[in-house]
Amino acid sequence: MKRRSRQGLPACRVFAAAVALLAAGHARADEKVLYEAAKKEGEVNWYTGLIQNQVVRPIVAGFEKKYPGVKINVTGGRQTEINLKILNEAKAGKLQADLTEGSTVVETFKPAGIIVPYKGPWAKELPAQYQDPAGYWRAIVLYFLVPAINTEMVKPADEPKTLEDLLDPKWKGKMAWTAEMTIGGPPGFIAAVLKEMGEEKGKAYLKKLATQQIKTVPSNPRVVLDQVIAGQYPLALITYNHHSVISGRKGAPVKWLKMEPAVGAMAMSVLLKGPHPNAAKLLIDYLLSSDGAQVIRNANYIPSNPKVEALDPTLKPEKGGFKAVTPSPEEIEKNVGKWIGIYKELFQ
Amino acid sequence: MTDTVSGTTGAGAKLSRRPKSASRHGRGLDAWLAPGAVILVLVLLVAPPILILLQTSLTTETKGLADGHFTLEHFAGLLDNPRLYVSTWNSLVFSASSTILSILFGGLVAWIVVRSNAPFGPLAYITAIVSLGTPYLLHVAAWTFLLGRTGPFNEAWRGLTGGTTLLLDVYSMWGMVLIQGMLWSPLVFLLMSAVFRRSNAEMEEAARMCGASIAQTVWHISFKLAWPAITGMALFVFIRNLESFDVPVLIGGPAKIYVLTTDIYLSMTEMPPKMGHATAFSLILIGVVSVALLFYSRFAKNADRYASVTGKGYRPRPFDLGPWRWVGGAVVIVNFLLVLLLPLIATLWISLMPFVRPMRLSALKLLTLENYRVVLAEPRYLELAFNTITVAAGAATAAMALALLAGWLVVRRWPGSGLIEQLINIPIVFPGIVVGVALLILSLKLPIPLYGTLAVIMLAFLIRFLPYGMRYAHSGVMQIHRELEEAASISGAGQITILRRVVLPLLVPALLSGWLFIFLIGANELSMSVLLAGPRTQVMAVAMLDQWSSGQSVEVFALGMCWSLFMTLCALIFYALTRRTMMGEGDGGL
Repeated sequence: MKRRSRQGLPACRVFAAAVALLAAGHARADEKVLYEAAKKEGEVNWYTGLIQNQVVRPIVAGFEKKYPGVKINVTGGRQTEINLKILNEAKAGKLQADLTEGSTVVETFKPAGIIVPYKGPWAKELPAQYQDPAGYWRAIVLYFLVPAINTEMVKPADEPKTLEDLLDPKWKGKMAWTAEMTIGGPPGFIAAVLKEMGEEKGKAYLKKLATQQIKTVPSNPRVVLDQVIAGQYPLALITYNHHSVISGRKGAPVKWLKMEPAVGAMAMSVLLKGPHPNAAKLLIDYLLSSDGAQVIRNANYIPSNPKVEALDPTLKPEKGGFKAVTPSPEEIEKNVGKWIGIYKELFQ
Repeated sequence: MTDTVSGTTGAGAKLSRRPKSASRHGRGLDAWLAPGAVILVLVLLVAPPILILLQTSLTTETKGLADGHFTLEHFAGLLDNPRLYVSTWNSLVFSASSTILSILFGGLVAWIVVRSNAPFGPLAYITAIVSLGTPYLLHVAAWTFLLGRTGPFNEAWRGLTGGTTLLLDVYSMWGMVLIQGMLWSPLVFLLMSAVFRRSNAEMEEAARMCGASIAQTVWHISFKLAWPAITGMALFVFIRNLESFDVPVLIGGPAKIYVLTTDIYLSMTEMPPKMGHATAFSLILIGVVSVALLFYSRFAKNADRYASVTGKGYRPRPFDLGPWRWVGGAVVIVNFLLVLLLPLIATLWISLMPFVRPMRLSALKLLTLENYRVVLAEPRYLELAFNTITVAAGAATAAMALALLAGWLVVRRWPGSGLIEQLINIPIVFPGIVVGVALLILSLKLPIPLYGTLAVIMLAFLIRFLPYGMRYAHSGVMQIHRELEEAASISGAGQITILRRVVLPLLVPALLSGWLFIFLIGANELSMSVLLAGPRTQVMAVAMLDQWSSGQSVEVFALGMCWSLFMTLCALIFYALTRRTMMGEGDGGL
């Protein structure tokens, strides 16, 4: 399995490099100006919750190779802490962060007035749903959240196909989900149900689902999936579909289900009012370029760049043939309180 | 504030001489010099987090940078919690049971190892040290794996019965108590062995000569002399359990066993984190703890009754348990199994798997060293290890220096000692994230460029771990009889000389134990480091969390194994260097 994908890689790389060359043609002049300005700044402070080993380090290596003289200082950690840190820097008037990304950054930093709108050379090609018309954010990674099962514990015939199937008594006490109160957790699931079924029917469904005694695992969806793989629970309700693919490739007994609707989420990149605006713009451009998207793709993530296909294209709704509900940042900001409220009322 | 000797009467008083008067510490301003300096330092350390706690708990949550306005809603919200009574009850049951478990278990092992001739003593030290050197995350993960649905116990049970039922459900109150109790028993063991090592042999031998059995001697003499140390530690562990988040949330969460801290944890995982709620709770805890400490300090005023290190030779001789020594040895082995070996085997198993698999023969063919290869091929971990050790060692040194001075001033009831004791113990109830936020804000506001440096993390550790240092220093000083200092004083030594030439040398074992303890927990601390680390000041625990939450959960076990091994080596080197001091001249230490 592993060998085959490795053989396929060089051909892909050559193709992607060709695409990159063509695309880069237009923007070359602008890019040079930006690069010169970035070189004067010399460095950029990137606060990121992306996984260090898998994505961040290859991106840093790729970027610093392409743009010698501009160094990336990475500050890692969980998104909660990163957001807290940036807000406190801003409050003290010493904003150090130049850019960051995540699924909650827009709602957190836009009211604080520390996001700088920016549209780079990628703006024309990036699909409209993956960027803000005013330039406040652009998606660099796409996520789709679906249920996943342990294939040793759930026979193919028993796999739930629809939301209604989850109400079967055989699942009572056997389902788990994360305690993260974000779109990647129960609030996202609740949002998708309400959107799919409508407020009234959706709420009635959730009430029934609540009697199934879903176990809330106090960690992120990845850890919940790991517990499904370990056999603690046969089914996790809301997990990232690419995680199941990554683990499945290593031979783990796990499979994601195309239960509709999936929840769509994005890692939205924002440019902050930090000390190195040009270097930050250059890094954003790189992340959305074919080169950057290629690194993201090779780490098994789904890049937002439409020209760089995911390693497994069926992870995306268009190729995989499933429906996804992707709440926009505005919708999330408006309704996340309500969704959390429903969670607390019914499931806690 | 000066020496009030209320309640020093009673049977025990004859064991000691009563303190004479306040004049022992000099008169007037002079007597306030040392305590004043210590109080100033403590206030500087403790006040910023408290102020930030107060401010956050009394301000509304806002979006953006705007300042919130004054509110009492966070406090009202705590009382509004519909589950308040159930949560309070659960909290009390959980904290009390796990405290009792760790005190009984850790204390028993300590007595066996230090005071009896039972075999395998060194094993207990190794157990405690390796266990403290292991990241918390791994401990809990290993235990939930062992006792979980697919753990070896339940697998064996299913194999025996052929059914699908569970023998053990770790997601339950007993699971929480067991794991928390095991987590804290190494600390209790280390503290209690320091206490027992300095027990008074004379009194024990007198009792034995009067015909008391070993059990009688132990009960009436050894344990009663150690009583203030035991109760002080029990209170300390109890408070720590009461405010702990991890085990209640990780184990109690899926079982819907809610304790007081569950709500707070959940509100902090929301985006943005609801800090108001958490800080209000911390303040209430600080109130409760301060009252508890007041009672404790009144009780500890009679400390002289318990002093056992006197001017005469005090090396205690081990009890000869006769044939029972093998039972003692068995307890040490059981301790080794439960606290170290079982979690270690689970960790090792997972670290050798490509993904988490139950312990089955059929999984043996999956065994791989791939995770270790990945970990060892990463040069960045060297830098992380260096950062981590620098921070932990710096914080431990500063904390023990301060604790030595504070412990001595408090036990000898210098002016202001009550205040010192209160101040130094307050950080027990600071949630890590609160200290983290406080120092984040502080380092951003100060004109010196502290933000993102190792110094800030060190300072955070110093604040948070001071109470631990104090426990070691305090119970250490309590056992040194005043007569030694009085003798020095009569011979013309000043207070500084007394501290340096009499107290310090006698306290060295306690101080070193405390240093090692803070060093080990500091090296594995997460909640503050994750907030304070800058791009070049990342520490190991943060890297582990990064891996854990990103699907490299098997790799983190490999990294954890390497890290525990490294920390154990550090601890062993430490012991080798301090061996003579720790052992005194041949009393049963390592």
